Amino acid sequence: MMKMAFLLPLTLFFPLLLGAASLFLRSPKASLIFCSIGTVLTAILSGISACWVFRNGPLSAAGGWFYLDAFSAYHLLVMVVVYSLSALYGIGYFGHEIKEHRFTGKTARRYTGLWFGSLGALVLALISNNLGLLWVGIESTTLLTAFLICIHPTPGALEAMWKYLLMCSVGMAIAFTGTLLVAASAGGTLLKGTDVLLLTELRTVLPSLNPMLLKAGFLFLVVGYGTKAGLAPLHNWLPDAHSQAPAPVSAVFSGFLLSAAGYGIFRCLPLIEGATGDSGWGRGILIAFGLLSLLTAAVFLVGQKDIKRLLAYSSVEHMGIITLGFGLGGIGVWAALLHTLSHSLGKSVSFFCAGRLGQIYGSHEIKKLNGIIKSSPLWGGGLVTGLLALIGVAPFVLFFTEFYLLKAAVDAHKYMVAGLFLFCLCVVFVGISRPLISMAWKPCESEALPAKGSLLTGALVYLPLALLFLLGFWLPSPLNNVILQAAHLLTGVTP
Amino acid sequence: MILFVDTLLVLMILSAFLLLGSSRLGACIRFVAFQGFLVGLFPLVVGTHGPSLRVVIIALVIVASKGIAFPVLLSRALRESQTNREVQPFVGYGLSLLFGLVSLVISFQLDKRLGLPPHYSSDLVVPVSFFMMMGGLFLIVARKTAVNQVIGYLVLENGISVFGLALVRDIPVLIEMGVLMDVFVAVLVMGIAIYRINREFDHIDSDRLNQLKG
Repeated sequence: MMKMAFLLPLTLFFPLLLGAASLFLRSPKASLIFCSIGTVLTAILSGISACWVFRNGPLSAAGGWFYLDAFSAYHLLVMVVVYSLSALYGIGYFGHEIKEHRFTGKTARRYTGLWFGSLGALVLALISNNLGLLWVGIESTTLLTAFLICIHPTPGALEAMWKYLLMCSVGMAIAFTGTLLVAASAGGTLLKGTDVLLLTELRTVLPSLNPMLLKAGFLFLVVGYGTKAGLAPLHNWLPDAHSQAPAPVSAVFSGFLLSAAGYGIFRCLPLIEGATGDSGWGRGILIAFGLLSLLTAAVFLVGQKDIKRLLAYSSVEHMGIITLGFGLGGIGVWAALLHTLSHSLGKSVSFFCAGRLGQIYGSHEIKKLNGIIKSSPLWGGGLVTGLLALIGVAPFVLFFTEFYLLKAAVDAHKYMVAGLFLFCLCVVFVGISRPLISMAWKPCESEALPAKGSLLTGALVYLPLALLFLLGFWLPSPLNNVILQAAHLLTGVTP
Repeated sequence: MILFVDTLLVLMILSAFLLLGSSRLGACIRFVAFQGFLVGLFPLVVGTHGPSLRVVIIALVIVASKGIAFPVLLSRALRESQTNREVQPFVGYGLSLLFGLVSLVISFQLDKRLGLPPHYSSDLVVPVSFFMMMGGLFLIVARKTAVNQVIGYLVLENGISVFGLALVRDIPVLIEMGVLMDVFVAVLVMGIAIYRINREFDHIDSDRLNQLKG
């Protein structure tokens, strides 16, 4: 185990080094290509650590401050997949803007630097065993990505950035208070010094933690990280930021930043459940937040006029589903984990397509995006398929994860929850299908430019979609094992 | 020592009330600088035995950032924007002061209810930190100019710092530095954002940033 431990700090510092190196590049094209290659290399590095963890058990480094177990390794994998896809897509997306001289060398350097910075910060959040370090990682992503929203400083982008910055900073401040309370709850235990912040150490003294302080801490953590995870009613910044950011950034935002903040909450769930003797108090809170997010998203999705805002509200919905799954426990955790992967893939691809369609049509308004399949089979077809996957049409894997979630709710005899969940899903289904049909088949009025797509861009869109389709029929046993391992860490029982 | 601690805490309460009651942004920045300075002194006086090198360094960094760097940064953003007072806040100044009084009472009640483990410095620490957190959140919600919202964020952070110092004695230096750096960058980023918003819109009223909705 000691031999492989160097992998963790390496995975952390590699993207940071790349970020520093990228500042010396001159041409925007070179920056974009460097960004993609660097991200893919980081992905390979993280993939190696993750695979090692799945085979041989948790890795720990830096005196126990870094710790990678199946749960965090799974999230690490999802993250690098989303980042790699988005970085590769960025070449085509910004390549278009280079021709219009809107994406200069300076902008490109800023973009690449912040891109690698946020990647490094997320790695830090995922591999840290120390709750304080986890907070530092997630907070850093907020600050680094704020400028990614306004790569092009339009009024809308600035407004979105201000809301994002202020709301998430306040959320993070609240999450920090939660972290302090969790640390304080270990005051009466044998833990000394920095150990009160280490998750692995806290797990060993569960019964002697102060439940009152821990409960207060968990509430603060849920509200704080929940702000960043886009849980209603703290989601107000989300549709603005996700709709105003350039498409590759939106993809990363929706695809993984939300899940990363959610990870901060779910990581602490075993603590609270263990210390309160599995009373379901912590799970109840997650169920409430999950359902509220689902309801809010359902209300705002109906009649939405902007395609990127529609996708953003759909992210609120899916974060609600994932939170609900963790709250229900049992098979719900398994479903929520699989849902995290599926949603990340589906949402990134949908943002890719919406972004390029926006460039082609010159607008993100649903009213103007007519006949997208005909005018641009690659992006239009991708968006339609992506949206179908996201609303949970049958053969796609999201249908099955939602089905298992329903089963988890019924198994736990929470019929009200199951009913409400089903109701929200139906509203979302109808709310998204209506614009979907009009976009897909309404005849196009203006002559849109036919979009040329290379083999690479085609693969970027259709490979993830094909994967979502395949997973619906057949879940490969290695992947299933990985998810079971991760779920086991959270529930404590072998499913 | 307790006398020192209590003096500092009472001064913090006073500075928070000054912030709640004043409309001139320049004065607000000076008050928040004063409060940051007090928070910086706080770790020096709460220890049971004299300050160690670690504590001195932390205190110096807090004073340098919260007492000097942030106010300078905010003043610069303010000068750029040529705004000098908050004309029409969402909640008037009289009402804001009333809110301050009410939240002070609530903070003391909350402290009694929570029954936190007894701390060694002063009984006032936890209520004052709660009060500052609430006051900070209130400033963010009740004021319109971006500068005042950043000030609210700083008051919230000050409250959390005091809370952390009172509750957890052994937060490692590295984490503390990480947190401070994050706050520093946050304020820096907000400062730049204000500058850009001002350049783009010719004002820094965040309630007029209302194009995106639905």
